[in-house]
Amino acid sequence: MSKLFAVALGVLTAIGGFLDIGDLVTNAVVGSRFGMALAWVIPVGVLGICLFANMAGRVAAVSGRATFEIIRERLGPRMAAANLGASFFINLMTVTAELGGVALALRLATDAGPLMWVPVAAFAVWLVIWRVGFTVMENATGLLGLSLIVFVISVFLLQPDWTQLANQAMAPAIPESESGATYWYYAIALFGAAMTPYEVFFFSSGAVEEHWTVEDLGTSRLNVLVGFPLGGLLSLAIAACAATVLLPAQIEVTSLSEIALPVLAAGGKLALAFLIIGVVAATFGAALETTLSSGYTLAQFFGWAWGKFRRPMAAARFHVVMLVVLVACASALCTGVDPIAVTEYSVVFSAIALPLTYLPILIVANDPGYMGERVNGAVLNAAAMVYLVVILLAAAAAIPLMIVTGAGQ
Amino acid sequence: MRRRKPLPEAPAGSGRLLDARLHILDRQLLDFDDTPVGIVDDLLLEDLADDGRGPRVLAILTGQVLATRIFGGKPPVSRLQKLPWRLVRSVGIVVRVDADTDGGTGSLDNLWVERWLRDHVIAHIPGRRHAAH
Repeated sequence: MSKLFAVALGVLTAIGGFLDIGDLVTNAVVGSRFGMALAWVIPVGVLGICLFANMAGRVAAVSGRATFEIIRERLGPRMAAANLGASFFINLMTVTAELGGVALALRLATDAGPLMWVPVAAFAVWLVIWRVGFTVMENATGLLGLSLIVFVISVFLLQPDWTQLANQAMAPAIPESESGATYWYYAIALFGAAMTPYEVFFFSSGAVEEHWTVEDLGTSRLNVLVGFPLGGLLSLAIAACAATVLLPAQIEVTSLSEIALPVLAAGGKLALAFLIIGVVAATFGAALETTLSSGYTLAQFFGWAWGKFRRPMAAARFHVVMLVVLVACASALCTGVDPIAVTEYSVVFSAIALPLTYLPILIVANDPGYMGERVNGAVLNAAAMVYLVVILLAAAAAIPLMIVTGAGQ
Repeated sequence: MRRRKPLPEAPAGSGRLLDARLHILDRQLLDFDDTPVGIVDDLLLEDLADDGRGPRVLAILTGQVLATRIFGGKPPVSRLQKLPWRLVRSVGIVVRVDADTDGGTGSLDNLWVERWLRDHVIAHIPGRRHAAH
């Protein structure tokens, strides 16, 4: 019974924890501009993150090594340092975006300016990292994040033209108001939003934090393979809401209120309340994960003591890095940068940086020195190679498309 | 890539054959209580003896030497902490040493930043002594 409970809890947290500000914003933007014509990217991204997270989790459980330790050991100091620079920078953007997301959601609830909420959110993130245990932290934010199911309910309440939505999704056509370049630019953005590198740093470091062993692999695989696709359904629902309400009215998504508009139209204030709880939980959870990831990546690269399972006194550099990152990102937000714009850039940069972390994990997952008998099987490797090509293509096309489209304008 | 002479045959012995670059360099150093104490940045080798045995590894070197490892050159000896090879307990996915770090921070020179931040920053924040649970 307790085992069943553990599995159910794991799956539910994986669903609730799947979405972050990147998924919320990108899906709404894409839905409002392209309808469901980019819906096919979501299953591609979800399958990719299942494959990648599963591989990183298995490497961490079998070898006890988290992602950036492996990157250092396999790539050597020069390549690994370049990799760290890129990954850490993108992670900073994501921390900023998530903190901004928390502030925007709290602003929807209270009318107080978002700048007032930024320091509060940053302090709360720090406090949870300092005092709350890893498992409690994960489960609480994941379960509250389940409130985002309100997007699925809203789609049904809105009673859209289902055949039209299905046609848009099954026979994708680029709307007349958009160019081919913007279409592919947003395809890459959606892909990057689903396959954010921090999720993998966090997942593999979390496996070490929770002292996973080979016996835990079955549970973790189930969590990922059931939880992430269901989380992907939430992404589709966000896009469908936007496609139903925002696209016909030609409303542009510039803040969280446009993302909330279809939900408010469908379910009134009660639905809006659930939405706000869900967005706060999802972005707060992701702010925790990205802040921890900044500590994880740096500490693992330099070989410092890291982890919430240690006393802060025994992992001083790790905790100081996270403190500095939170202060820096909160300060950046206080200069008045637009969190939505930061989010849109961060998902595209995520796609650009993806090969840097994907390739070393794929190599080590095939190294018997680390993995013993638990190296990748033939089927997994075939799928992983297909994704390697997809990831490389997306990364290579992202910057030219960003320049050509003026970042999707 | 320069063309190199092929390496001589590996010595036939009963022991395990380790490639310094592949199996030792950049690996994590852990103390007896699983405290990370750095990474293997370099190896100190004995001067080449003429008896055909080849050089022996005297010590593992670790320190804040990322810049010289990336851009080349040689850091002053004071930047490197020497861990004599006799302290090495095992070489696997991690390298275990008996460095005696006293719960994580003891006396190793390369951990001075960790000690300094612990005593001057973390020590002033309430709740620092217990792991989160």
